[in-house]
Amino acid sequence: MVKDTASGLAELATVLARTRIAGLVDVFIERRTEVCWRLAGGRVLAREALLREGAAVRRDHRLVSGDGLERQALAALLGVNARELPAFSTPAFPEPPRLEDTLPELPARWSSVRWRWSWAAVLDGATAVPLHRPELAEITFPDGHRALTVWPPPLPGEEEAPEHPPVQPRPGTPRVLLAPAAAAVLIHELVGHPLEGDLLLRGASPWRGRQGDRILTLPLTVTDDPTRTDLPGGFTADDEGWPAKPRRLLTEGTLVGALADRESAPALGVDAGNARRAGIHTRPRPRVSNLVTTAADPLPHPPRNEARIEVVTLSSGTLEPASGAIVLQVREAYALRRGERHRPLAPFTLLGTLAALRAGMLAAADPTLPVAEPGWCAKEGEVVPTGAVAPWLLVAGVEVR
Amino acid sequence: MSHTDRLLPALQGASEELARHGVRFEVFARLGESAHLVRDQDGALERRTTRELGVACRASGRGRAGFAAAAGGAARAGRQAALAALDALLPAPDPLPPRALLGSSGSALEHPAADPAAQEALTRELAEAFAAAPGRAVLVQVRVLTGTSTAALATGEGFHATAHAGGSVVELLVAPPEGPWRHFHFAAPTLADLRPDEVTRRAVEAALLATTGGAPERQLTDVLLAPAVAAPLVVALAQHLAREPADDAWARIRVASAWHLVDERPGPTGLLPLPWDGEGLPARRLVLASGGRLRERFATWELSQRTGLPPGGAVRPSYRHPPVPGPANLVVLAETAVSQPELLRLLNAGFYLAVPAGPVRVEPVTGRFALRAAAVAVRDGRPTTAHPLVELRGSFPRLLRGLAATGGDTESFSLAGAVTTPSLLVRRLEVA
Repeated sequence: MVKDTASGLAELATVLARTRIAGLVDVFIERRTEVCWRLAGGRVLAREALLREGAAVRRDHRLVSGDGLERQALAALLGVNARELPAFSTPAFPEPPRLEDTLPELPARWSSVRWRWSWAAVLDGATAVPLHRPELAEITFPDGHRALTVWPPPLPGEEEAPEHPPVQPRPGTPRVLLAPAAAAVLIHELVGHPLEGDLLLRGASPWRGRQGDRILTLPLTVTDDPTRTDLPGGFTADDEGWPAKPRRLLTEGTLVGALADRESAPALGVDAGNARRAGIHTRPRPRVSNLVTTAADPLPHPPRNEARIEVVTLSSGTLEPASGAIVLQVREAYALRRGERHRPLAPFTLLGTLAALRAGMLAAADPTLPVAEPGWCAKEGEVVPTGAVAPWLLVAGVEVR
Repeated sequence: MSHTDRLLPALQGASEELARHGVRFEVFARLGESAHLVRDQDGALERRTTRELGVACRASGRGRAGFAAAAGGAARAGRQAALAALDALLPAPDPLPPRALLGSSGSALEHPAADPAAQEALTRELAEAFAAAPGRAVLVQVRVLTGTSTAALATGEGFHATAHAGGSVVELLVAPPEGPWRHFHFAAPTLADLRPDEVTRRAVEAALLATTGGAPERQLTDVLLAPAVAAPLVVALAQHLAREPADDAWARIRVASAWHLVDERPGPTGLLPLPWDGEGLPARRLVLASGGRLRERFATWELSQRTGLPPGGAVRPSYRHPPVPGPANLVVLAETAVSQPELLRLLNAGFYLAVPAGPVRVEPVTGRFALRAAAVAVRDGRPTTAHPLVELRGSFPRLLRGLAATGGDTESFSLAGAVTTPSLLVRRLEVA
């Protein structure tokens, strides 16, 4: 794969700084390419390619964005004559990978595979900061579930057909064992989203004003780490051009940090560096990158004999900040009997509250693993790739509905 | 320069490149311009102006077909999309409809561009109306969006057509004195159609309806869905109907006679009429459900060749996507529009779901859905207990056979496509 070095961007940034465009905060340019292979029965039915490029100009309280990266298009966004801008170039779109080389055998239960490459730069003052992100692999399943990893996608293991058809779980409040993929979604909703600076400042987070408080009985440590470029949310610099740095959010259950962009950082008293954009047409906002969760003293093995249900994956999770209600939509789960998987369960809902979960996380267990969920994270319709590393979690006090 | 003129370089660049390679082809270009204005509780304003412009190509020849799209309006973008589409060719049947089927069913007038002053005035008037409204509900944020789009489609066989669309949306984030914050969505063809006093009255009433209370027991019961709750469910239903069930499964589905669901693609009703479908076939009305049964289905030309369904049901969510079968301008016709008090009387015992609290979740394979909403329990036709968050669950077959009545309070929404619906009274869905 060829990745050109950007050229002329520093000169462009210098010219923009010299031009003194009223209220100019920064200019964001991005190139992105995707290829989606549509699959059925382990065969490729169609291949769709997308080449995107564009720019966004941010001024005080105003964002103007447009597709296309020609000098004229950028000049129109800046409100200057194209002749005032120097010539610049951006990395060429790379050749997409050959799926047949990456995955010689395609699983029959995959609906599509998508590869994504992106490159961006922030022009701020007289500097141009290139942003590098990992190439992504998205797998879609027939039920619409999407798993996100860095490219190449992991080869699937052998799958055993379930012996019994799924059954509805009994309503109640059994102890539930969350596998790392499900635990990652819970941590993302419980710790990640609510510590995004704009939500904290708007009062849309239960953790507003709670810095220094112990919010989980279980001594979990959670770090937002964009430097983990082996995970989908990685980047070398954030979408405002700040160098990527790990940010500790929770230390052994105690709140110690928040995610901030330039706008929210002063009010929160933390550094910026967590700004992300869903694309050129959205403004940067504080967002989760990769949430890495570790436990102080994890059990060596998942405690299946202490739970009645094992949840493998969730299809979604939400935290309602005002009421503290947490709703987890379970996609794949098993009833446990004597520490063994007994029967598969049909999709169901787990309902909890912040109060119940703060004390209801009973234990964490190894293996602590990188997982493909929550993957794409949506906030008011703006979607960014995220990654996670999580342990197994034994949870009480959540209701099966 | 008109909006259509701005699409020409990309259309021409792509067409020339594809013509050189001797394939059948179709080029689609689209320019979408939108102006967003966000006003926060403290009066701070933030503007966002976006211009989404790109070109997509479908190519077909020698038993192979491919699709690709590229951003930008220059000839270079057109050439890039064309070359990428040629690179994407894989063995597949020809997906392109024959020239003889293509056409346009209406005029193509451009919509007026967004007026920033009018947007600002609307946000200010909404903030003032909220401040004066009873009940201490706080307007945390108001977002106003005005958008227009122009699309053009050309084929290698000489067909060319253009289309224009536009609309306005107001979204409100409201904090009642207690309980969950609520999100409201109002859509109309123009900003002038959205009256701030009326929008405020409805949002405040709904936000204060269910602020405290617990979850109800899980039960099968009758429900009255306000238009804002019904709309995403109707879209999800239509999208589900766009999938490909086995023919016998389709024929077995029982449909209540109260259903009269149409995709009013040519208008004039509905929020977003267009003169042609996603492949350039003249827009026509598709009757999805009426007279107690399912009727027409969405089909692209390629699907019609495999299944025998009539084509003309293609949509393009954006230039980035190939045409797919699906809804464009859904309308639930309320032929017997029942008043709200009468609907509550007909409901008798059950739940009135007033405000959605999240998206509809669908299991595509089983057709089961779930939707969270603020609700009020109803006994003897009267509201009794408030429930800030309930979950409505069911299956699309159950929704199709359970519709008992429709209200006279039709509203339009801009969701995944446009949808216009009144309140729906549905028998026997699960509430928890």
